[in-house]
Amino acid sequence: MSDTPGHRGPTLVIPQRAGPPPRQARADAWSQPGARRSARRVFRPRRTIPGVLVAAVLAAAGILGCIWAASAALSHALWKVPHGDFAGPLQTTAHWSGTATLAVASAVAFVGFLLILIGVLPGRTRAIPVASGDGSVVIGVPRRNLRRSLSWLAEEVPGIDKVKVRAGRRSVRVRATTRLRDTTGLREQVQAVVKQRLAALDPLWPTQVKVKLRRKKG
Amino acid sequence: MTRHTAHISRTWLVIIGLILLLGAGTVLARALGASTSVLGSSSAPLLTHTQVAYPTQHSWVWPVVAAVCAVIAALALWWMAAQTSTKTVRSLPLEPDHRHGRTVLPAATVTNAVTDELESYPTIRSAGAVLRGSSTRPGLQLVVTAENRADPVIVRRSIETEALPHLRTALELDTIPTVMRMQFSRAFDRHLA
Repeated sequence: MSDTPGHRGPTLVIPQRAGPPPRQARADAWSQPGARRSARRVFRPRRTIPGVLVAAVLAAAGILGCIWAASAALSHALWKVPHGDFAGPLQTTAHWSGTATLAVASAVAFVGFLLILIGVLPGRTRAIPVASGDGSVVIGVPRRNLRRSLSWLAEEVPGIDKVKVRAGRRSVRVRATTRLRDTTGLREQVQAVVKQRLAALDPLWPTQVKVKLRRKKG
Repeated sequence: MTRHTAHISRTWLVIIGLILLLGAGTVLARALGASTSVLGSSSAPLLTHTQVAYPTQHSWVWPVVAAVCAVIAALALWWMAAQTSTKTVRSLPLEPDHRHGRTVLPAATVTNAVTDELESYPTIRSAGAVLRGSSTRPGLQLVVTAENRADPVIVRRSIETEALPHLRTALELDTIPTVMRMQFSRAFDRHLA
C-alpha cells in the first residue's frame, strides 16, 4: 500500500491477502495525554435522555404544585383536593415507621442513588476513538458500524460464509462460519484481515482480535 | 458544544440524585428509629394536627409554596432547554467591525462546500457537516461514510490534509475543533471495482 496522501489512483484497492503493510505502531497523537483524554470525553454518553426525563418530571411537578398551591391560596381549589386537610388519610393512619413510609422512602433513595450513578459513571463510549493526524480533530467509529465493517471485510475472505463480530472494550471477537472441508489457514486469514483494518484505524484502546471458526456441513 | 450539554446533564443529575438520596435517607433513619433524640420518635404520625392546620391559620404559606413550585418548574424547563439545545451556528460574521454594517455568511454554504468536497473523493460515499458553538469560534461536526474497502488511513489523511485546511482558509481561522464520525458502508464497487 502506498502512503501517498492523494486519494485518487489505483492504490486504493487494498491487497487483502498481502502481508500487513509497514506502518508505525501507534499514532503520535496517542502518546499525548491531552489527545487521549479529549478523544475519550467526546464520545462518552452525554446522559441527555435521563437528564431530559428528570427535567420533564420536575417541570410537570413544579407546574402542578404551583397551580394547586395558587388555587389553595385563593381558597377555592381548582380540582378536588381537600387542602384544608390536604394530607387526607395520612394524618391519622400513616406513621413514620409504617410500611408505606419505608417503601416510598426506599424507592426515592434508590432513584436518587441511580441518578448519582448515571451522572458519575463515564459509561461506554458511543463510538470507538481512533487515531487522527491532526490535534484539533477527534475521530470515532460508531461501535455498531465497526462491527459491521469488520464482518464485511472478513466475509470477503474466500471460503468464509458468514461472520459475526462483537466489539468489546479491549477485544474484538470474530465468529466466522465456513462450508469448506479444508480450513487450514482460514482462521489466520480472517484474523489478518481484521487486524489489518484495526491497525489502520489505530483505536485508542489497543484491541485483541480473537477468531473462532466453525465448519458448517452442506 | 456537545461536551457542554453533557456537563450540564451530568452535574444536575448528580445534584438531584443527592437531594433525593439525602431526603429519603433522613426519612428512613427516622422510620427505623436510628436517632430518636435528633429526628424524633418513629411511632409518631407523619403529619400532626397542628402541622395540617398550619396553612389555614397562616395565609403566607400557600403563596410561598406556589412561588417555590414556580421556581422549580422554571429551573427544570431551563435545564431541559439547555440539554436539548444543539448550538448550531446558522451564520458566520465575515467582518469583525460591526459599525459600518454587517456581512454575514450563511453557515449552510460553508458546510455544503465541505460536504461537496468530501463527496467528490472516490473513497467517500456521503458526508454531513454542521457548525456548532459560537459563530466566531465554531466547531465542526462531521459524519463521513467511507467505502468499506478503502483504506481508512487514506480517507483520514485526505480529509485532514485537504478538506479541513480548505475550510480553515475559507473561514480565516487557525484551528477549527472537529469531531468526526467515520462510518463504513459496503462498497458496491462504484469506484473500487
